[in-house]
Amino acid sequence: MCGTTRACADPAHRHVRPFERGAQALRTGRRTLLTGATAAAGAAAISVAASRPASAVVPTDTRRRAYVLVIDGCRPDEITRTLTPHLWALRQGGAWWPNARSMPVMETIPNHVMMMTGVRPDRTGVPSNAVYDRALGEVRDLDQESDIRVPTVIERLNAQGFTTGTVLSKEYLYGVFGERATYRWEPTPTLPVTGHAPDVFTMQAALDMLEADPHLMFVNLGDIDRFGHADVTGGTVKALRTTALVDTDHQVGRFVQALKDAGTWERSLVMVLADHSMDWSDGSDYITLSPLQEADDLLAGQVAIADNGGADLLYWTGPDAQRDEAVDRMLAIARSADGVLRAFSPARERARYRLGDEAGDVVAFCRAGRRFSDPDPWSNPIPGNHGHPATRPIPFFLSGGAGVVPSGQVSSAQASTMDVAPTVATFFGLRHGSRVYEGRARI
Amino acid sequence: MLSGAAATGLTASALTASTGTGPATAATSTHQTQDADEAAARRAGHRVFRHGVASGDPLPDAVVLWTRVTPTREASPGSGIGPRTTVGWQVAADRAFTRVVRRGRFTTGRGRDHTVKIDVTGLAPATTYYYRFTALGQTSRTGRTRTAPSHDAALASLRVGMVSCANWQAGYFAAYRGLADRDDLDLVLHLGDYLYEYGPGEYGYGPDDVDIRSHEPAHEMVGLADYRRRHGQYKTDRDLQRAHARHPWVVTWDDHETTNDAYDDGAENHQPDTEGDWPTRRARAHRAYDEWMPVRMAGTADLRDGSRLFRRLRFGTLAQLNMLDLRTYRSQQPGLTDGAAIDDPDRTITGAQQMAWLKDSLTNDAGTPQWKVVGNPVMIAPVTFAGLPSRVTRAVDDVTGLLPDDGQPYNVDQWDGYTADRREVFAHLQDEGVTDVLFLTGDIHSGWACELPVEAGDYAVTRESVGVELVCASVTSGNLKDITGAPEATPAVEAAILANNPHVKHLDFDNHGFCVLELTPERAQCDWFVIGDRAEVDTPITWSVSWTTEASSNRVTRAAAPLAGTPEEVR
Repeated sequence: MCGTTRACADPAHRHVRPFERGAQALRTGRRTLLTGATAAAGAAAISVAASRPASAVVPTDTRRRAYVLVIDGCRPDEITRTLTPHLWALRQGGAWWPNARSMPVMETIPNHVMMMTGVRPDRTGVPSNAVYDRALGEVRDLDQESDIRVPTVIERLNAQGFTTGTVLSKEYLYGVFGERATYRWEPTPTLPVTGHAPDVFTMQAALDMLEADPHLMFVNLGDIDRFGHADVTGGTVKALRTTALVDTDHQVGRFVQALKDAGTWERSLVMVLADHSMDWSDGSDYITLSPLQEADDLLAGQVAIADNGGADLLYWTGPDAQRDEAVDRMLAIARSADGVLRAFSPARERARYRLGDEAGDVVAFCRAGRRFSDPDPWSNPIPGNHGHPATRPIPFFLSGGAGVVPSGQVSSAQASTMDVAPTVATFFGLRHGSRVYEGRARI
Repeated sequence: MLSGAAATGLTASALTASTGTGPATAATSTHQTQDADEAAARRAGHRVFRHGVASGDPLPDAVVLWTRVTPTREASPGSGIGPRTTVGWQVAADRAFTRVVRRGRFTTGRGRDHTVKIDVTGLAPATTYYYRFTALGQTSRTGRTRTAPSHDAALASLRVGMVSCANWQAGYFAAYRGLADRDDLDLVLHLGDYLYEYGPGEYGYGPDDVDIRSHEPAHEMVGLADYRRRHGQYKTDRDLQRAHARHPWVVTWDDHETTNDAYDDGAENHQPDTEGDWPTRRARAHRAYDEWMPVRMAGTADLRDGSRLFRRLRFGTLAQLNMLDLRTYRSQQPGLTDGAAIDDPDRTITGAQQMAWLKDSLTNDAGTPQWKVVGNPVMIAPVTFAGLPSRVTRAVDDVTGLLPDDGQPYNVDQWDGYTADRREVFAHLQDEGVTDVLFLTGDIHSGWACELPVEAGDYAVTRESVGVELVCASVTSGNLKDITGAPEATPAVEAAILANNPHVKHLDFDNHGFCVLELTPERAQCDWFVIGDRAEVDTPITWSVSWTTEASSNRVTRAAAPLAGTPEEVR
């Protein structure tokens, strides 16, 4: 489930919302809003870090630019010549990995974090959108800057004297990447409920940030995902979704044209990918595990569930001494529930899933056409969901005129969201050891 | 092409004394070897290698080689007589056998119908090899084969010949000629009905079942000797021999390798009262198949270790070929109007073990190749025929077994008769987000290109597809016009089926031929080639149509031209 959880929406809670933190950064002077030549008139609010990191060794080719465009929630089969001509042209003219995959849990925050860190959730600390925070005693979104435990390529670039920018349409992405980038767009206006800025505004911010000209710009376009979540015709004609695809494609076309008009295209790498794809369920196709767990004598009152749409994360909150027995029962109950594809213990299958302790004691994936709705049947009414394996396939292609992307190349290799950071690092010539990234550079 | 033992000095005894690897010491010209071989055949009074050579199931380091020797004139297939014979074999990196990389000997005899099957190991991946056999002073023709690429190789393409349903009595195997004439194939995929069980006068050419050439033995094959004789007869076909010698083959069976409409404990064309018990008959058919085909059954070339035919072959990161056996484990076909049985989850077409294996094959686990190709003996796309008049459905049913007279929408001999298993496979593909799944199918003597709908009923609206199915026509087995004798009626039938099944994008009910499929990371394209009159040995072959599926799309679209490299004479 992509929506903002109750915990982080509660202003009385000590968990500070991302926008509030952004405002504090401006009030305290840690960041300042761009003005003058680098901020277009009447344009988006782009802040810049007040103290830029001391420049280290100046890279040999500082004219290079990398743009990572995340078409949030897009399915690979939605890139077509007729529906999305600009994206299709980028794919056909660049290098394409049709076998690309999102990584578990197939949610927005963990996969964006994997893009920028190049490693799995047991190292990032971010396995899903929502987790049960044991210290907090609440389910919350992983939208705090401190939630990411490892350096991102943003920070690695900054440390080497490059400049970076984030243009992230969703409040929780804005939050989790925090003040890492040199330039940071404060997403506005955001829609109520969805907590995201429409692509037309997000793209305008990206175009405005081109004026600041960061070496790396990381852009999330949220409409395809957000309209997909809300599309009650998702299982049939996909009316809202199709509208979003057409518009987002248009926005991408604007961005590419701006690069070409500015002469930047010839020295650019443009990465286009999704964080996950999308699946739709009917109103009654929900799975609610909470009452099933509550009906068990041992588990009653001692299981917390973080609902992630296509995945439920279950946490044993009782005594450690009873954890093994509790996990066995949680697994058995989840596996017996209609619509559950599989349930597993991240700790017991650590090597396979690499989700880390934050993922809890049991993770359950739903089948295609189903969704989790916990703790209540009405907790997750939205038709479009992801997080489960049905939503793993993603579009993934590279383009740009920097001469590092062979035109028309198609590869059978299984690219993943983790490949973004090492690709960007390689593009800028960052040196790194073999263990820094688990993804692979695709140039 | 043939290489003579006399000219090379590599007699059978010399070969048997020199097993292992190492360069050969003599090179010979084609003419020299042909002359020597013919001279040896004259001296012996018969040809020892009269059934050709074959290779199959290529792995990165291994390939199965096959031949059959006729040690005496009387030791014909199925005769059960003839002496034990030691056969030498060589594998070389060049056609002249100047660089022999593997060699050895193999002793065969009447217990295995004098067939020879060797799993040659220690080969290099993605490499073309030449092979030949020697025995009794004669040398076989030279075969060419190619190993699969290493598992992590990034292939630019894989080109596969597709063929099925070759009925000796219905005509000549021009489709095999078309495959043999291609120099651009990595392998040939045979999807079943490699031979037919019928006796003369049954299931022949045209509405009157005329035999263009008659089966041996002159009765339905039932006993082990019958199956052996029939295999032996088919393998005397010149075009089939050339196609086997030219390319490695990957094969599976359908029903006619045993008998029509087979299932786990019986068959439509098996009468226990007169033909004995079913398990025995099937075991004989499987035994003969194992003896006569270049295939690893139960994972080996050994004849003694079982008849499991479903298996995987991998071609780098590009493709994994999953070959199904849909006859051995399936439940009996339901009645044509028995909807409850058709949907009964306790009935199966795969069997539980094969279903688990298939689902395990069709995954997106890290390291799984991009294209998940299924060698699928019977059609999996749902086909409904609502709205067709019964006179039409009867004609279609005669060809394909697709239809009951009352127009019920299922062919109960294909996946349409086992809808629970199909739902399980399709649900698995959806649940796991598996992309680029390609079912390659034979069986129904017609060409199809289909998308695979999650729900056929509302596909026109949802267009939710989990894969693509491509169906090749038959080599010779009767199609719609052959049965009706009225080709002018076919277009209306095809149009009605296409209209009723929006996921079916291409249907050709009236042609025989073969397909050439090319897989690349970007797309799969299938070219259909059709033949003229199957009653004519030299009937022409022409390109008919091409369809393509783009990676990740689960859709098929018409392609404007056949694949690059298609010979001009068949364009």
